[in-house]
This record gives sequence, C-alpha cells and structure tokens, in this order.
Amino acid sequence: MLFNKRTERYFIWLFFPLALLLPLFLEQNTFYVSKLTSVMIFALFVMSLDYLVGRCGLITLGHAMFYGLGGYLFWMIAPEYEAVNFWVYTFYICMIAAAVALVIGFLVLRTSGIYMIMITLAFAQMTFYFFSDSIEFGGNDGLFIYVKPETSIFGLSFFDLDNPTHFYYLCLLSLFNTLVFFRLLIRSRFGRVVDAIHENPGRTTALGYNIFLFRLMSYVIASALGAYAGYLFTLQYGFVNPSMLAWTTSGSALVMSILGGMGSIYGAVLGTFVYEGLHYSLEHLTEHWLLFMGALIIAMVMLFKNGIAGYMEKLLEKRV
Amino acid sequence: MNTQVSLDIQVMLETQGLCKYWGGLKALDGVSLQFYDKQLHGIVGPNGAGKSTLLNLLCGHYKPTHGRIMHKGEAIEAIKPHAFARRGIGRSFQKTNIYPGASCLENCCVAVQRRMGGNFNLLRSRYSQKVLDEIASDALDKVGLGARRDQIAAQISYGEQRQLEIAMVLATAPQVLLLDEPMAGMGHEESQLIIELLNRLKREYCIVLVEHDMDAVFELSDQLTVMVDGQHLTTGTVSQVRDNPRVKEAYLGQGDEVF
Ligand SMILES: Nc1ncnc2c1ncn2[C@@H]1O[C@H](COP(=O)(O)OP(=O)(O)O)[C@@H](O)[C@H]1O
Ligand SMILES: [Mg+2]
Repeated sequence: MLFNKRTERYFIWLFFPLALLLPLFLEQNTFYVSKLTSVMIFALFVMSLDYLVGRCGLITLGHAMFYGLGGYLFWMIAPEYEAVNFWVYTFYICMIAAAVALVIGFLVLRTSGIYMIMITLAFAQMTFYFFSDSIEFGGNDGLFIYVKPETSIFGLSFFDLDNPTHFYYLCLLSLFNTLVFFRLLIRSRFGRVVDAIHENPGRTTALGYNIFLFRLMSYVIASALGAYAGYLFTLQYGFVNPSMLAWTTSGSALVMSILGGMGSIYGAVLGTFVYEGLHYSLEHLTEHWLLFMGALIIAMVMLFKNGIAGYMEKLLEKRV
Repeated sequence: MNTQVSLDIQVMLETQGLCKYWGGLKALDGVSLQFYDKQLHGIVGPNGAGKSTLLNLLCGHYKPTHGRIMHKGEAIEAIKPHAFARRGIGRSFQKTNIYPGASCLENCCVAVQRRMGGNFNLLRSRYSQKVLDEIASDALDKVGLGARRDQIAAQISYGEQRQLEIAMVLATAPQVLLLDEPMAGMGHEESQLIIELLNRLKREYCIVLVEHDMDAVFELSDQLTVMVDGQHLTTGTVSQVRDNPRVKEAYLGQGDEVF
C-alpha cells in the first residue's frame, strides 16, 4: 500500500513538537524521560526494520543481530577507561556494521521468502550463542560500559550523555534524522528501483536492473542504522547483553512494525509507542500481562489492516 | 509481403541448436533461427509449441539446457538475466507484467531510469530530472496511452495494460523487441493500434512477435517461423510458409483451420 504524505506530515508536526516539549513538564521525573528515551531508541530500530520488511519486501528475523552488534562493537573498539568521541564512534560503528551486513547480506539475499527468514534467523542465533557462550564477552551477563563518550564537535559540546534529558534530546534528534533520511531515500532514484523490486522483481530484472545489488544496499543501510540504535541503547544503560541479540528482539520489532503499518516508516514510531505503552500499563495491572497483551495485539492487527498508520489515513481521508 | 534481402541486412540475434528441457519434457528441442535487424519475425504454432519458452530464453529469463544464443556475434546464453536488457533486448510477457500499484508514467519511468544513471543515488529525488519524465511520456504517447499518464496501472483496462507493457519496453530504448502475444485479449480497435505501431517500429528495431492473431502476423511479418512441439517446422516469407504443405498438415492435425 502506498501511504499518503499528508498523514505523515500531520504525524511529524504533532509528534516531534510534543516530544520536544515533554521533558519540560517531566523535569522532576527522570524515570519517564529515560523510559521515553528507550522507547525512541527502539522506535529507531523498528524503523530500520520497517524499511527492510515493508519497503524492500525483505523479511528478516535476524535484525536484532545488528542491534546487539552496535553495543558489542562499542565495547570492543572503545578503550575501557577513556571517554571517546561520540560522533567519531557513531561513524565507526555504523561503518563496521555496514561491512558485516555486506558480507551477511551477500549470503542471505541469495534466498527469499521463508528461506530468507530461516537464514537470517540462523545467523542471528549463531551470533547470539557466540556472545552468550564466550567468557571474554561476559557470557549471559554481558558487559559494562564504564565511561560514556563525550559529544564535542570542534571543541563545542552540546550534550552530556550522563544527563538523561540531554540524552533524551540526542535520541529524539536521531529519530527525527532517521525519519527524514528514510523519507528522502524512499523518494530518491534508488527508492524508485527499490519500490519497483518490491512490487515486481521479475519485471525489474527484465528492465535491466541487477536487483541483488539494490537489495544488498538496502540491507546494508538498514543494518547500519539498526546497529546505531543498539549503540544508543548501550550508552543509555551502560551495558551490553546477549538479550539484545535474541530472536525475540527481532520478533517484537517485527510486531511493532506490523502494528504501526508496514512500509510507512513513521508508523514504526506509532507501533513502538503503542506496543510499549500497552506493555507498561498492563505490566502494572496484572501478572498475566503477556496474555492480555498478545490478545490485544492480535485484535489490533486484525482491526487495522494496514496498521495504525493505515487506519489513521483512512480516518483522515473520510473527513475530506 | 516480400522482403528484399539486401547485403547490409544484419543478423541481430541468432539461436544455434537451442534446447530447453523440463525434466523429460522437451519444451524446445534444437531450434536454430536468425533474427534480422529492422525486420519483424513472426512466430506461430499451436499451444505448447514452445514459443514462450523461446522468448524466455532469448531474454535471459530461462537458461537453455543446450545450445547457444548469439547477439551481434557474441555468445550471451551464460550472462546474467539483467544483462540481456542492458544489451538492448527488451521483452513483453504473455502474462501482463507491469507495476500495478504505480501510475502509468511511473511504470515507464522505472524503465527509462536504468539507462539515465544515478540508480544508486540515495538522496536525489526521483522526480528531479525532467528529461526522464519526458522520455517516459513519449513512450506512453507512442502506444496511445498519453491520456492515461497519471492513472494507476491496475485501474486501466486489460488491453491498455498490454499497451503499457509495450511502452515500458520501448522506454528502455531496446534494439530487439521480444513480444509475447501483445494483442491477446485486446479489442479490435486496440489491436489495430498495436498493428499500426508495430508496422512503424519494425523499420527501427529487430522485432520477434509471437501472436495468435493470424491476420496480424501475416500482415506484419517479414519472416515467419512455424513451431510445433518444441521444434522448428519451417521459416520463410509469409507466402512461402502459407504454401508449405507440412504447415497445413501440422495445423490440420491440430484441428486448427487458420490457413
Ligand atoms: N516453467 C515451466 N515448467 C515446466 N514446464 C514448462 C514451463 N514452461 C513451459 N513449460 C512447458 O513447455 C511447453 C511449451 O510451453 P510454452 O513455451 O509456454 O508454449 P507456447 O507459448 O508455444 O504455448 C509446454 O508443454 C509447457 O507446459
Ligand atoms: Mg505462450
């Protein structure tokens, strides 16, 4: 389904100003600021998955591999007791994750459909067991990050990562930039070919495109951004842990993407906030929250055919 | 209906002993043919004769079991499927093969963009180059779909979708056009339009036309090949083929009185 730009614009104009002002009202309550930060980080991750699944038609159950890799990579390449530069390490981590994605994508993208789901899952599980079984990487407990990076650009520092409100704004900025980037990407010439491949790969080959290369490029981009989200997660909590790599992480991200409206990109934010909102409120109401949550998610997915984004668009269209 | 075979006529595409087997089924069995530039080569034969299979091999969609495909003297049967289109071998399919969710213009834009470059440009807007839209528009005008430009491809009529597919192939600026029953399912007026179009195009391109509408094939073909059961029966001018007793036999054997 082609999502229309107007609803997306409404969403952007509603969500981001609100998110910008919110910390002013939550000044005393760093708990909520941190909670919202972590949801935004995961929304960024879901967004990168949404691009792959919804826009490129590449269904993966191994995306969490890159989420976890973002964290572990930071631990591996940064010195333990020295503050490194946040932006420089963002660049490093995205580049290394991209290189890993290039290799894995090269193997994974030779398959499609159910086979691709199985192979991505296999790679993710291999990575999961590699990190959770190795003593050097802290096994099941993971590893601590003792020193957070500093964020200066040419000697000017805007964010202090230890300050929850600052970190909140950094993540909000990241989410906004990622959304803008994906909008440009979808509109681009590259995006035209990606849309064509998604709708009719055979036709696109017959027109002379090497569809493998376009899929590989998309996979690399989405994986690098997924790793960036994992890197932010690690900086927020000060640790890395194999559960970041678990297939359940990929699974919940996939559910959030479907809930939000697959392929709409901005729907990833909606899906993640609704999912996490439900999770948070139900968890406090009942011990059996998972059961209710599952039922609610199933109901919503069945009710909103194209996710929350699709539903909103239908509502807005009716009124015009 | 006569072709003046002059010396400067060039073999554009050639098959040598081309075979395609599906398990024990010989869909195509040792077919050797030559397709000339600036000519229209018709291919007829009963259902299951292997006509679509031949086109699918010529455009790289299938790999041959045996045999060669030569394009301008180079063997191309082993190259990647997308490389066929890059060499200028364009294809329309028997089963309509378009982007149903996109506008007619966008369908053609995808076809044009490949040779305009910048396909890996991640940030440049797909709408930024006027020329691209213009070439795509021209292709639509050529097949008589100019008025449908901004309509979603799924919403135009079946015949128009067939026309759109030809427009997409033209938009790739091919040298060879492989057309698999382009007029199937079209109304009389639409067919007439395509016949006129092909009559114009055959002076510029090498066209291979598989078609069930015999009147159309007879009118258009410079060369005509009859295939039966995966095998080549005969090739020649339309009158040569019509007078061939084996052709009558093959068709009468099928109970199909077209000649
Ligand atoms: N993908 C395929 N798998 C198996 N058999 C096929 C396939 N494609 C075509 N065939 C068989 O090859 C034969 C020739 O088919 P085709 O080339 O489509 O004939 P035509 O286009 O002349 O009607 C038919 O018997 C058909 O069943
Ligand atoms: Mg056929």
